[in-house]
Amino acid sequence: MATLTKRNSWGQYLSLIILSGVALFIIAPYIWMVLASFRSTQEIVQNPGVILPIDWTLEGYRNVLTNAPFFQWFINSLIVALSITALVVFTSTLAGFVFAKFDFRGKEGLFWLVLATMMVPYQITMIPIFLIVGRLHLYDTLWALIIPGAVSAFGLYLCRQFCEEIPDSLSEAALIDGAGPMRVYWSIIVPLLRPCIAALAIFTFLEAWNEYLKPLIMLSQVERMTLPLSLVFFGNAHKHDIGSVMSAASLIMIPAIIVLLLFQKQFIKGISITGTK
Amino acid sequence: MLLPILLLYFTFLVLPIGAGFVMSFFDYNPLQAQNDFVGMANFSKLLDDPIFFKALRNTLYFVFGTVPLNIIITLIIAQLISSLQWSKLRASFRVLFFMPCIAPLVASSMVWKQMYNVRYGVINSLLERFLSIQPINWLGTQSLVIPSVILFTLWADMGYNIIIFSAGMDGIPHDFYEAAEIDGAGPITRFFNITLPLLGRTLSFVIAMTFISHFQMFAQFQVLATKGGPNNSGTVLTYLIYKIAFQNKNMGYASAIAIALFLLIMVFTIVQQRINRVDWGY
Repeated sequence: MATLTKRNSWGQYLSLIILSGVALFIIAPYIWMVLASFRSTQEIVQNPGVILPIDWTLEGYRNVLTNAPFFQWFINSLIVALSITALVVFTSTLAGFVFAKFDFRGKEGLFWLVLATMMVPYQITMIPIFLIVGRLHLYDTLWALIIPGAVSAFGLYLCRQFCEEIPDSLSEAALIDGAGPMRVYWSIIVPLLRPCIAALAIFTFLEAWNEYLKPLIMLSQVERMTLPLSLVFFGNAHKHDIGSVMSAASLIMIPAIIVLLLFQKQFIKGISITGTK
Repeated sequence: MLLPILLLYFTFLVLPIGAGFVMSFFDYNPLQAQNDFVGMANFSKLLDDPIFFKALRNTLYFVFGTVPLNIIITLIIAQLISSLQWSKLRASFRVLFFMPCIAPLVASSMVWKQMYNVRYGVINSLLERFLSIQPINWLGTQSLVIPSVILFTLWADMGYNIIIFSAGMDGIPHDFYEAAEIDGAGPITRFFNITLPLLGRTLSFVIAMTFISHFQMFAQFQVLATKGGPNNSGTVLTYLIYKIAFQNKNMGYASAIAIALFLLIMVFTIVQQRINRVDWGY
Protein backbone atom coordinates (compact mmCIF):
# COMPACT_ATOMS: atom_id res chain seq x y z
CA MET A 1 0.00 0.00 0.00
CA ALA A 2 2.83 2.36 0.85
CA THR A 3 4.41 1.96 -2.58
CA LEU A 4 1.05 2.56 -4.24
CA THR A 5 0.50 5.91 -2.52
CA LYS A 6 4.06 6.96 -3.20
CA ARG A 7 3.82 6.31 -6.94
CA ASN A 8 0.41 7.95 -6.87
CA SER A 9 1.69 11.16 -5.39
CA TRP A 10 4.27 11.51 -8.19
CA GLY A 11 1.46 11.08 -10.70
CA GLN A 12 -0.63 13.57 -8.77
CA TYR A 13 1.99 16.29 -9.00
CA LEU A 14 2.64 15.56 -12.66
CA SER A 15 -1.11 15.87 -13.38
CA LEU A 16 -1.17 19.09 -11.43
CA ILE A 17 1.71 20.56 -13.44
CA ILE A 18 0.13 19.62 -16.79
CA LEU A 19 -3.27 20.98 -15.75
CA SER A 20 -1.72 24.22 -14.51
CA GLY A 21 0.01 24.62 -17.88
CA VAL A 22 -3.27 24.25 -19.74
CA ALA A 23 -4.95 26.56 -17.24
CA LEU A 24 -2.36 29.22 -18.00
CA PHE A 25 -3.09 28.88 -21.73
CA ILE A 26 -6.80 29.31 -20.97
CA ILE A 27 -6.49 32.45 -18.80
CA ALA A 28 -3.63 34.15 -20.67
CA PRO A 29 -5.91 35.85 -23.25
CA TYR A 30 -8.11 37.18 -20.43
CA ILE A 31 -5.14 38.59 -18.56
CA TRP A 32 -3.85 40.18 -21.74
CA MET A 33 -7.29 41.61 -22.51
CA VAL A 34 -7.76 43.17 -19.07
CA LEU A 35 -4.26 44.62 -18.95
CA ALA A 36 -4.57 45.99 -22.51
CA SER A 37 -7.85 47.64 -21.53
CA PHE A 38 -5.91 49.84 -19.09
CA ARG A 39 -3.32 50.87 -21.68
CA SER A 40 -3.52 53.53 -24.34
CA THR A 41 -3.54 52.29 -27.92
CA GLN A 42 -0.34 54.16 -28.62
CA GLU A 43 1.38 52.29 -25.83
CA ILE A 44 0.11 48.89 -27.07
CA VAL A 45 1.34 49.55 -30.61
CA GLN A 46 4.73 50.86 -29.54
CA ASN A 47 5.51 48.24 -26.90
CA PRO A 48 3.75 45.04 -27.95
CA GLY A 49 6.09 42.85 -25.90
CA VAL A 50 5.32 44.66 -22.65
CA ILE A 51 2.41 43.00 -20.86
CA LEU A 52 1.97 45.30 -17.86
CA PRO A 53 0.66 48.80 -18.55
CA ILE A 54 3.37 51.45 -18.30
CA ASP A 55 0.85 54.26 -17.76
CA TRP A 56 -2.44 53.00 -16.35
CA THR A 57 -5.36 54.76 -18.01
CA LEU A 58 -9.15 54.58 -17.89
CA GLU A 59 -9.41 56.34 -21.26
CA GLY A 60 -10.65 53.18 -23.02
CA TYR A 61 -13.44 52.61 -20.52
CA ARG A 62 -14.43 56.28 -20.64
CA ASN A 63 -14.63 56.08 -24.42
CA VAL A 64 -16.90 52.99 -24.35
CA LEU A 65 -19.22 54.30 -21.67
CA THR A 66 -19.59 57.86 -22.92
CA ASN A 67 -19.20 57.66 -26.72
CA ALA A 68 -21.34 54.56 -27.22
CA PRO A 69 -24.78 53.52 -25.89
CA PHE A 70 -23.16 50.72 -23.93
CA PHE A 71 -25.77 50.74 -21.17
CA GLN A 72 -28.58 50.48 -23.75
CA TRP A 73 -26.82 47.49 -25.37
CA PHE A 74 -26.49 45.83 -21.99
CA ILE A 75 -30.21 46.35 -21.26
CA ASN A 76 -31.15 45.00 -24.72
CA SER A 77 -29.09 41.87 -24.11
CA LEU A 78 -30.61 41.43 -20.68
CA ILE A 79 -34.19 41.83 -21.98
CA VAL A 80 -33.64 39.37 -24.83
CA ALA A 81 -31.82 36.73 -22.80
CA LEU A 82 -34.21 36.86 -19.82
CA SER A 83 -37.34 36.79 -22.00
CA ILE A 84 -36.10 33.89 -24.10
CA THR A 85 -35.10 31.94 -20.98
CA ALA A 86 -38.47 32.47 -19.28
CA LEU A 87 -40.41 31.59 -22.44
CA VAL A 88 -38.34 28.52 -23.28
CA VAL A 89 -38.67 27.19 -19.74
CA PHE A 90 -42.43 27.76 -19.83
CA THR A 91 -43.09 26.30 -23.30
CA SER A 92 -40.73 23.36 -22.83
CA THR A 93 -42.02 22.27 -19.42
CA LEU A 94 -45.66 22.62 -20.44
CA ALA A 95 -45.20 20.81 -23.76
CA GLY A 96 -42.93 18.23 -22.10
CA PHE A 97 -45.64 17.57 -19.49
CA VAL A 98 -48.32 17.19 -22.19
CA PHE A 99 -46.17 14.89 -24.33
CA ALA A 100 -45.24 12.76 -21.32
CA LYS A 101 -48.58 12.47 -19.53
CA PHE A 102 -51.37 12.79 -22.11
CA ASP A 103 -52.36 10.73 -25.12
CA PHE A 104 -53.62 12.34 -28.29
CA ARG A 105 -53.66 11.51 -31.95
CA GLY A 106 -50.37 12.00 -33.78
CA LYS A 107 -48.47 12.54 -30.52
CA GLU A 108 -45.37 10.50 -31.33
CA GLY A 109 -45.28 11.82 -34.88
CA LEU A 110 -45.38 15.42 -33.67
CA PHE A 111 -42.71 14.76 -31.06
CA TRP A 112 -40.31 13.24 -33.57
CA LEU A 113 -41.03 16.02 -36.04
CA VAL A 114 -39.90 18.58 -33.45
CA LEU A 115 -36.89 16.47 -32.46
CA ALA A 116 -35.84 16.07 -36.08
CA THR A 117 -35.55 19.86 -36.35
CA MET A 118 -32.52 19.64 -34.04
CA MET A 119 -30.62 17.92 -36.86
CA VAL A 120 -31.15 20.83 -39.23
CA PRO A 121 -28.51 23.58 -39.19
CA TYR A 122 -29.65 27.13 -38.49
CA GLN A 123 -28.29 28.10 -41.91
CA ILE A 124 -31.34 26.48 -43.54
CA THR A 125 -33.97 28.01 -41.28
CA MET A 126 -32.48 31.47 -40.80
CA ILE A 127 -33.59 32.73 -44.22
CA PRO A 128 -37.26 31.67 -43.83
CA ILE A 129 -37.28 32.90 -40.20
CA PHE A 130 -35.90 36.23 -41.39
CA LEU A 131 -38.72 36.46 -43.96
CA ILE A 132 -41.41 35.41 -41.42
CA VAL A 133 -40.14 38.04 -38.98
CA GLY A 134 -40.35 40.57 -41.80
CA ARG A 135 -43.96 39.56 -42.54
CA LEU A 136 -44.83 40.03 -38.87
CA HIS A 137 -43.27 43.52 -39.02
CA LEU A 138 -40.86 42.63 -36.23
CA TYR A 139 -37.64 43.25 -38.14
CA ASP A 140 -35.19 45.47 -36.24
CA THR A 141 -37.00 45.07 -32.91
CA LEU A 142 -36.00 42.90 -29.96
CA TRP A 143 -39.14 40.82 -30.65
CA ALA A 144 -37.40 39.52 -33.77
CA LEU A 145 -35.08 37.63 -31.43
CA ILE A 146 -37.49 36.83 -28.60
CA ILE A 147 -40.45 35.32 -30.46
CA PRO A 148 -38.57 32.86 -32.70
CA GLY A 149 -36.45 32.02 -29.63
CA ALA A 150 -39.46 31.14 -27.47
CA VAL A 151 -39.49 27.44 -28.34
CA SER A 152 -36.68 24.93 -28.16
CA ALA A 153 -36.65 21.37 -29.49
CA PHE A 154 -33.87 20.48 -27.07
CA GLY A 155 -35.92 21.91 -24.17
CA LEU A 156 -38.96 19.86 -25.14
CA TYR A 157 -36.85 16.70 -25.31
CA LEU A 158 -35.17 17.34 -21.96
CA CYS A 159 -38.44 18.17 -20.16
CA ARG A 160 -40.27 15.18 -21.61
CA GLN A 161 -37.49 12.88 -20.39
CA PHE A 162 -37.74 14.33 -16.89
CA CYS A 163 -41.56 14.33 -16.85
CA GLU A 164 -41.65 10.66 -17.74
CA GLU A 165 -39.69 9.89 -14.59
CA ILE A 166 -42.46 11.43 -12.48
CA PRO A 167 -44.80 8.56 -11.44
CA ASP A 168 -48.18 8.66 -13.23
CA SER A 169 -49.92 7.99 -9.90
CA LEU A 170 -48.97 11.49 -8.68
CA SER A 171 -50.57 13.42 -11.53
CA GLU A 172 -53.52 11.01 -11.84
CA ALA A 173 -54.36 11.27 -8.15
CA ALA A 174 -54.50 15.05 -8.45
CA LEU A 175 -56.67 14.85 -11.57
CA ILE A 176 -59.11 12.51 -9.77
CA ASP A 177 -59.21 14.92 -6.85
CA GLY A 178 -60.56 17.48 -9.28
CA ALA A 179 -57.46 19.52 -10.09
CA GLY A 180 -57.35 20.83 -13.67
CA PRO A 181 -54.38 20.00 -15.93
CA MET A 182 -52.93 23.51 -15.50
CA ARG A 183 -53.19 23.12 -11.73
CA VAL A 184 -51.37 19.77 -11.89
CA TYR A 185 -48.72 21.33 -14.11
CA TRP A 186 -48.19 24.27 -11.82
CA SER A 187 -48.29 22.64 -8.38
CA ILE A 188 -46.97 19.12 -9.06
CA ILE A 189 -44.92 19.02 -12.25
CA VAL A 190 -43.05 22.33 -12.03
CA PRO A 191 -41.72 21.80 -8.47
CA LEU A 192 -40.57 18.28 -9.34
CA LEU A 193 -38.83 19.48 -12.50
CA ARG A 194 -36.56 21.93 -10.67
CA PRO A 195 -33.19 20.35 -11.53
CA CYS A 196 -34.26 20.07 -15.17
CA ILE A 197 -35.49 23.68 -15.23
CA ALA A 198 -32.24 24.94 -13.71
CA ALA A 199 -30.16 23.15 -16.33
CA LEU A 200 -32.38 24.29 -19.19
CA ALA A 201 -32.44 27.88 -17.93
CA ILE A 202 -28.65 28.09 -17.65
CA PHE A 203 -28.18 26.70 -21.13
CA THR A 204 -30.81 28.86 -22.74
CA PHE A 205 -29.60 32.03 -21.05
CA LEU A 206 -25.98 31.44 -22.05
CA GLU A 207 -26.95 30.75 -25.62
CA ALA A 208 -29.22 33.77 -25.90
CA TRP A 209 -26.71 36.07 -24.17
CA ASN A 210 -23.87 35.01 -26.48
CA GLU A 211 -25.85 34.77 -29.71
CA TYR A 212 -24.29 36.67 -32.58
CA LEU A 213 -25.64 35.44 -35.91
CA LYS A 214 -29.33 36.01 -35.12
CA PRO A 215 -28.94 39.65 -34.00
CA LEU A 216 -26.63 40.20 -36.97
CA ILE A 217 -29.46 39.21 -39.32
CA MET A 218 -32.39 40.69 -37.43
CA LEU A 219 -31.14 44.05 -36.12
CA SER A 220 -29.67 47.03 -37.90
CA GLN A 221 -30.12 50.13 -35.73
CA VAL A 222 -27.28 50.83 -33.34
CA GLU A 223 -29.56 51.43 -30.32
CA ARG A 224 -31.31 48.09 -30.83
CA MET A 225 -28.16 45.97 -30.82
CA THR A 226 -27.32 43.31 -28.25
CA LEU A 227 -23.84 43.13 -26.70
CA PRO A 228 -22.05 40.61 -28.97
CA LEU A 229 -23.26 42.41 -32.10
CA SER A 230 -22.51 45.83 -30.67
CA LEU A 231 -18.97 44.78 -29.80
CA VAL A 232 -18.23 43.96 -33.43
CA PHE A 233 -19.88 47.20 -34.48
CA PHE A 234 -17.84 49.15 -31.92
CA GLY A 235 -14.69 47.30 -32.97
CA ASN A 236 -15.22 48.23 -36.62
CA ALA A 237 -15.95 51.84 -35.74
CA HIS A 238 -12.83 52.12 -33.53
CA LYS A 239 -10.51 49.91 -35.55
CA HIS A 240 -7.41 51.80 -34.53
CA ASP A 241 -8.31 52.22 -30.89
CA ILE A 242 -7.30 48.83 -29.48
CA GLY A 243 -7.41 50.07 -25.88
CA SER A 244 -11.09 51.00 -26.19
CA VAL A 245 -12.01 47.76 -27.94
CA MET A 246 -10.32 45.77 -25.17
CA SER A 247 -12.20 47.85 -22.58
CA ALA A 248 -15.50 47.02 -24.29
CA ALA A 249 -14.56 43.33 -24.47
CA SER A 250 -13.65 43.36 -20.75
CA LEU A 251 -16.94 45.00 -19.85
CA ILE A 252 -18.78 42.20 -21.66
CA MET A 253 -16.72 39.27 -20.40
CA ILE A 254 -15.96 40.12 -16.78
CA PRO A 255 -19.60 40.17 -15.51
CA ALA A 256 -20.19 36.77 -17.13
CA ILE A 257 -17.13 35.36 -15.36
CA ILE A 258 -18.33 36.74 -12.02
CA VAL A 259 -21.73 35.08 -12.57
CA LEU A 260 -19.97 31.82 -13.43
CA LEU A 261 -17.88 31.95 -10.26
CA LEU A 262 -20.94 32.72 -8.10
CA PHE A 263 -23.06 29.92 -9.56
CA GLN A 264 -20.31 27.44 -10.42
CA LYS A 265 -21.98 24.46 -8.74
CA GLN A 266 -25.24 24.99 -10.65
CA PHE A 267 -23.37 25.47 -13.93
CA ILE A 268 -21.35 22.28 -13.62
CA LYS A 269 -24.34 20.26 -12.46
CA GLY A 270 -26.57 21.59 -15.24
CA ILE A 271 -24.09 20.74 -17.96
CA SER A 272 -23.45 17.30 -16.52
CA ILE A 273 -27.21 16.58 -16.50
CA THR A 274 -27.62 17.39 -20.18
CA GLY A 275 -24.56 15.37 -21.16
CA THR A 276 -25.53 12.15 -19.46
CA LYS A 277 -29.29 12.20 -20.15
CA MET B 1 -52.87 27.15 -23.84
CA LEU B 2 -51.21 24.38 -25.76
CA LEU B 3 -52.40 25.55 -29.15
CA PRO B 4 -50.40 28.80 -29.26
CA ILE B 5 -47.32 26.89 -28.10
CA LEU B 6 -47.74 24.26 -30.80
CA LEU B 7 -48.21 27.07 -33.28
CA LEU B 8 -44.89 28.59 -32.16
CA TYR B 9 -43.15 25.23 -32.52
CA PHE B 10 -44.63 24.90 -35.98
CA THR B 11 -43.90 28.45 -37.17
CA PHE B 12 -40.33 28.73 -35.97
CA LEU B 13 -39.04 25.15 -35.96
CA VAL B 14 -40.90 23.07 -38.55
CA LEU B 15 -42.17 25.51 -41.17
CA PRO B 16 -38.80 27.24 -41.82
CA ILE B 17 -37.22 23.89 -42.67
CA GLY B 18 -39.83 23.16 -45.32
CA ALA B 19 -39.59 26.73 -46.56
CA GLY B 20 -35.79 26.48 -46.73
CA PHE B 21 -36.02 23.42 -48.96
CA VAL B 22 -38.66 25.01 -51.18
CA MET B 23 -36.66 28.23 -51.55
CA SER B 24 -33.67 26.35 -52.89
CA PHE B 25 -35.73 25.66 -56.05
CA PHE B 26 -36.50 29.34 -56.59
CA ASP B 27 -34.51 32.29 -57.78
CA TYR B 28 -35.53 34.08 -54.59
CA ASN B 29 -34.42 37.63 -53.95
CA PRO B 30 -36.45 39.86 -51.60
CA LEU B 31 -35.64 42.88 -53.77
CA GLN B 32 -37.07 41.28 -56.92
CA ALA B 33 -40.71 41.78 -57.89
CA GLN B 34 -40.93 38.29 -59.32
CA ASN B 35 -39.26 35.17 -57.93
CA ASP B 36 -39.24 32.37 -60.48
CA PHE B 37 -39.22 28.64 -59.96
CA VAL B 38 -35.93 27.47 -61.40
CA GLY B 39 -35.95 23.76 -60.58
CA MET B 40 -32.47 22.38 -59.95
CA ALA B 41 -30.72 25.44 -61.41
CA ASN B 42 -29.37 26.57 -58.01
CA PHE B 43 -27.87 23.15 -57.44
CA SER B 44 -26.24 22.92 -60.86
CA LYS B 45 -24.86 26.43 -60.33
CA LEU B 46 -23.43 25.11 -57.07
CA LEU B 47 -21.50 22.36 -58.84
CA ASP B 48 -19.86 24.94 -61.11
CA ASP B 49 -18.99 27.36 -58.33
CA PRO B 50 -15.29 27.20 -57.39
CA ILE B 51 -15.92 29.32 -54.27
CA PHE B 52 -18.45 26.77 -53.02
CA PHE B 53 -15.85 24.01 -53.33
CA LYS B 54 -13.25 26.14 -51.65
CA ALA B 55 -15.65 26.81 -48.76
CA LEU B 56 -16.47 23.11 -48.58
CA ARG B 57 -12.78 22.24 -48.39
CA ASN B 58 -12.15 24.87 -45.75
CA THR B 59 -15.11 23.64 -43.70
CA LEU B 60 -13.86 20.05 -43.77
CA TYR B 61 -10.30 21.18 -42.99
CA PHE B 62 -11.53 23.19 -40.02
CA VAL B 63 -13.90 20.51 -38.67
CA PHE B 64 -11.52 17.58 -39.05
CA GLY B 65 -8.62 19.67 -37.80
CA THR B 66 -10.44 20.83 -34.68
CA VAL B 67 -12.80 18.12 -33.47
CA PRO B 68 -10.41 15.13 -33.12
CA LEU B 69 -7.90 17.36 -31.30
CA ASN B 70 -10.67 18.73 -29.12
CA ILE B 71 -11.90 15.23 -28.17
CA ILE B 72 -8.41 13.86 -27.46
CA ILE B 73 -7.31 16.87 -25.40
CA THR B 74 -10.55 17.14 -23.43
CA LEU B 75 -10.50 13.40 -22.65
CA ILE B 76 -6.95 13.66 -21.33
CA ILE B 77 -7.71 16.78 -19.31
CA ALA B 78 -10.90 15.26 -17.86
CA GLN B 79 -8.98 12.13 -16.88
CA LEU B 80 -6.23 14.19 -15.26
CA ILE B 81 -8.81 16.22 -13.35
CA SER B 82 -10.71 13.15 -12.18
CA SER B 83 -7.50 11.54 -10.94
CA LEU B 84 -6.61 14.50 -8.71
CA GLN B 85 -7.07 13.71 -5.04
CA TRP B 86 -7.83 17.29 -3.97
CA SER B 87 -11.55 17.81 -4.55
CA LYS B 88 -11.33 21.62 -4.26
CA LEU B 89 -8.75 21.69 -7.04
CA ARG B 90 -10.86 19.38 -9.18
CA ALA B 91 -13.78 21.80 -8.96
CA SER B 92 -11.60 24.86 -9.60
CA PHE B 93 -9.99 23.39 -12.71
CA ARG B 94 -13.41 22.51 -14.15
CA VAL B 95 -14.68 26.06 -13.67
CA LEU B 96 -11.47 27.53 -15.02
CA PHE B 97 -11.53 25.46 -18.19
CA PHE B 98 -15.17 26.37 -18.67
CA MET B 99 -14.48 30.13 -18.58
CA PRO B 100 -14.08 30.64 -22.36
CA CYS B 101 -17.45 28.94 -22.95
CA ILE B 102 -19.46 31.62 -21.18
CA ALA B 103 -17.92 34.48 -23.14
CA PRO B 104 -19.56 35.37 -26.44
CA LEU B 105 -17.52 33.76 -29.20
CA VAL B 106 -17.31 37.07 -31.08
CA ALA B 107 -15.91 38.85 -28.05
CA SER B 108 -13.10 36.33 -27.57
CA SER B 109 -12.51 36.33 -31.33
CA MET B 110 -11.94 40.09 -31.17
CA VAL B 111 -9.41 39.65 -28.36
CA TRP B 112 -7.58 36.91 -30.28
CA LYS B 113 -7.61 39.03 -33.42
CA GLN B 114 -5.51 41.62 -31.60
CA MET B 115 -3.26 38.88 -30.21
CA TYR B 116 -2.68 37.53 -33.73
CA ASN B 117 -1.85 40.97 -35.18
CA VAL B 118 1.37 41.02 -37.25
CA ARG B 119 2.88 44.21 -35.92
CA TYR B 120 1.70 44.60 -32.35
CA GLY B 121 0.11 41.24 -31.53
CA VAL B 122 1.27 39.67 -28.29
CA ILE B 123 1.82 36.25 -29.94
CA ASN B 124 4.35 37.55 -32.44
CA SER B 125 6.16 39.65 -29.88
CA LEU B 126 6.49 36.67 -27.50
CA LEU B 127 7.72 34.43 -30.34
CA GLU B 128 10.25 37.06 -31.33
CA ARG B 129 11.48 37.65 -27.82
CA PHE B 130 11.85 34.02 -26.70
CA LEU B 131 12.42 32.09 -29.94
CA SER B 132 13.67 34.93 -32.19
CA ILE B 133 11.04 34.09 -34.81
CA GLN B 134 10.31 36.78 -37.40
CA PRO B 135 6.77 38.25 -37.19
CA ILE B 136 4.19 35.94 -38.78
CA ASN B 137 1.11 37.28 -40.53
CA TRP B 138 -1.27 34.76 -38.95
CA LEU B 139 -4.55 35.99 -40.39
CA GLY B 140 -3.15 37.44 -43.60
CA THR B 141 -1.42 34.33 -44.94
CA GLN B 142 -3.59 31.90 -46.89
CA SER B 143 -2.17 28.75 -45.36
CA LEU B 144 -2.33 30.06 -41.78
CA VAL B 145 -5.88 31.41 -41.52
CA ILE B 146 -7.63 28.11 -40.81
CA PRO B 147 -4.92 26.84 -38.41
CA SER B 148 -5.19 30.13 -36.50
CA VAL B 149 -8.96 29.72 -36.27
CA ILE B 150 -8.47 26.11 -35.16
CA LEU B 151 -6.18 27.15 -32.31
CA PHE B 152 -8.65 29.80 -31.21
CA THR B 153 -11.61 27.41 -31.41
CA LEU B 154 -9.81 24.80 -29.32
CA TRP B 155 -9.21 27.45 -26.67
CA ALA B 156 -12.81 28.64 -26.81
CA ASP B 157 -14.70 25.37 -26.90
CA MET B 158 -13.05 22.75 -24.70
CA GLY B 159 -14.94 23.55 -21.50
CA TYR B 160 -18.23 21.82 -22.25
CA ASN B 161 -16.62 18.55 -23.21
CA ILE B 162 -14.27 18.58 -20.24
CA ILE B 163 -17.22 18.93 -17.86
CA ILE B 164 -19.34 16.27 -19.58
CA PHE B 165 -16.43 13.82 -19.71
CA SER B 166 -15.58 14.51 -16.07
CA ALA B 167 -19.17 13.82 -15.06
CA GLY B 168 -19.06 10.56 -17.00
CA MET B 169 -15.75 9.56 -15.42
CA ASP B 170 -16.99 10.35 -11.92
CA GLY B 171 -19.77 7.83 -12.55
CA ILE B 172 -17.28 5.00 -13.07
CA PRO B 173 -16.88 3.03 -9.80
CA HIS B 174 -13.51 3.56 -8.18
CA ASP B 175 -13.13 -0.18 -7.45
CA PHE B 176 -12.49 -0.85 -11.14
CA TYR B 177 -9.41 1.33 -11.12
CA GLU B 178 -8.12 -0.07 -7.84
CA ALA B 179 -8.59 -3.65 -9.03
CA ALA B 180 -6.76 -2.87 -12.27
CA GLU B 181 -3.97 -1.14 -10.39
CA ILE B 182 -3.45 -4.15 -8.15
CA ASP B 183 -3.27 -6.29 -11.30
CA GLY B 184 -0.43 -4.03 -12.41
CA ALA B 185 -2.20 -1.91 -15.04
CA GLY B 186 -0.53 1.48 -15.56
CA PRO B 187 -2.48 4.71 -15.96
CA ILE B 188 -2.49 4.46 -19.78
CA THR B 189 -3.79 0.87 -19.79
CA ARG B 190 -6.44 1.86 -17.26
CA PHE B 191 -7.50 4.76 -19.46
CA PHE B 192 -7.91 2.61 -22.58
CA ASN B 193 -9.38 -0.47 -20.91
CA ILE B 194 -11.65 1.03 -18.27
CA THR B 195 -12.37 4.71 -18.86
CA LEU B 196 -12.93 4.69 -22.64
CA PRO B 197 -15.20 1.61 -22.88
CA LEU B 198 -17.28 2.66 -19.88
CA LEU B 199 -17.59 6.17 -21.25
CA GLY B 200 -18.98 4.69 -24.49
CA ARG B 201 -22.38 6.35 -24.73
CA THR B 202 -21.27 9.72 -23.40
CA LEU B 203 -18.29 9.65 -25.76
CA SER B 204 -20.44 8.86 -28.78
CA PHE B 205 -22.89 11.63 -27.84
CA VAL B 206 -20.13 14.19 -27.28
CA ILE B 207 -18.35 13.34 -30.55
CA ALA B 208 -21.59 13.73 -32.50
CA MET B 209 -22.53 17.03 -30.83
CA THR B 210 -19.04 18.47 -31.22
CA PHE B 211 -18.94 17.63 -34.93
CA ILE B 212 -22.41 19.06 -35.53
CA SER B 213 -21.66 22.29 -33.69
CA HIS B 214 -18.31 22.80 -35.44
CA PHE B 215 -19.86 22.40 -38.88
CA GLN B 216 -22.10 25.36 -37.97
CA MET B 217 -19.52 27.71 -36.46
CA PHE B 218 -19.65 31.20 -37.84
CA ALA B 219 -18.70 34.04 -35.51
CA GLN B 220 -14.95 33.42 -35.30
CA PHE B 221 -14.69 33.18 -39.08
CA GLN B 222 -16.44 36.48 -39.57
CA VAL B 223 -14.13 38.20 -37.10
CA LEU B 224 -10.79 36.46 -37.65
CA ALA B 225 -10.98 35.81 -41.40
CA THR B 226 -12.00 39.33 -42.42
CA LYS B 227 -14.20 39.20 -45.54
CA GLY B 228 -13.46 35.50 -46.03
CA GLY B 229 -9.69 35.84 -45.57
CA PRO B 230 -7.09 36.42 -48.29
CA ASN B 231 -8.29 34.80 -51.54
CA ASN B 232 -11.21 33.15 -49.67
CA SER B 233 -8.76 31.03 -47.68
CA GLY B 234 -10.90 31.52 -44.56
CA THR B 235 -14.32 31.20 -46.22
CA VAL B 236 -16.38 28.36 -44.78
CA LEU B 237 -19.88 27.27 -45.82
CA THR B 238 -21.62 29.14 -42.99
CA TYR B 239 -19.92 32.38 -43.94
CA LEU B 240 -20.64 31.86 -47.65
CA ILE B 241 -24.34 31.24 -46.92
CA TYR B 242 -24.55 34.38 -44.78
CA LYS B 243 -22.78 36.47 -47.39
CA ILE B 244 -24.89 35.27 -50.33
CA ALA B 245 -28.19 35.45 -48.44
CA PHE B 246 -27.85 38.74 -46.60
CA GLN B 247 -25.26 40.77 -48.50
CA ASN B 248 -26.00 39.66 -52.08
CA LYS B 249 -29.68 38.97 -51.17
CA ASN B 250 -29.57 35.87 -53.34
CA MET B 251 -31.62 33.79 -50.91
CA GLY B 252 -32.55 30.94 -53.26
CA TYR B 253 -28.93 30.13 -54.02
CA ALA B 254 -27.97 30.55 -50.35
CA SER B 255 -30.68 28.01 -49.43
CA ALA B 256 -29.19 25.53 -51.89
CA ILE B 257 -25.78 25.87 -50.19
CA ALA B 258 -27.46 25.51 -46.79
CA ILE B 259 -29.00 22.24 -47.95
CA ALA B 260 -25.57 21.04 -49.06
CA LEU B 261 -24.32 21.84 -45.55
CA PHE B 262 -27.26 19.95 -44.04
CA LEU B 263 -26.59 16.87 -46.21
CA LEU B 264 -22.93 17.00 -45.22
CA ILE B 265 -23.83 17.05 -41.52
CA MET B 266 -26.41 14.29 -41.93
CA VAL B 267 -24.18 11.91 -43.89
CA PHE B 268 -21.44 12.58 -41.42
CA THR B 269 -23.65 11.91 -38.37
CA ILE B 270 -24.91 8.62 -39.82
CA VAL B 271 -21.38 7.42 -40.57
CA GLN B 272 -20.21 8.46 -37.11
CA GLN B 273 -23.07 6.60 -35.42
CA ARG B 274 -22.23 3.46 -37.43
CA ILE B 275 -18.56 3.55 -36.50
CA ASN B 276 -19.35 4.13 -32.87
CA ARG B 277 -21.78 1.25 -32.76
CA VAL B 278 -19.08 -1.08 -34.06
CA ASP B 279 -16.54 0.20 -31.57
CA TRP B 280 -18.56 0.47 -28.44
CA GLY B 281 -21.46 -1.92 -28.87
CA TYR B 282 -21.70 -3.94 -25.70
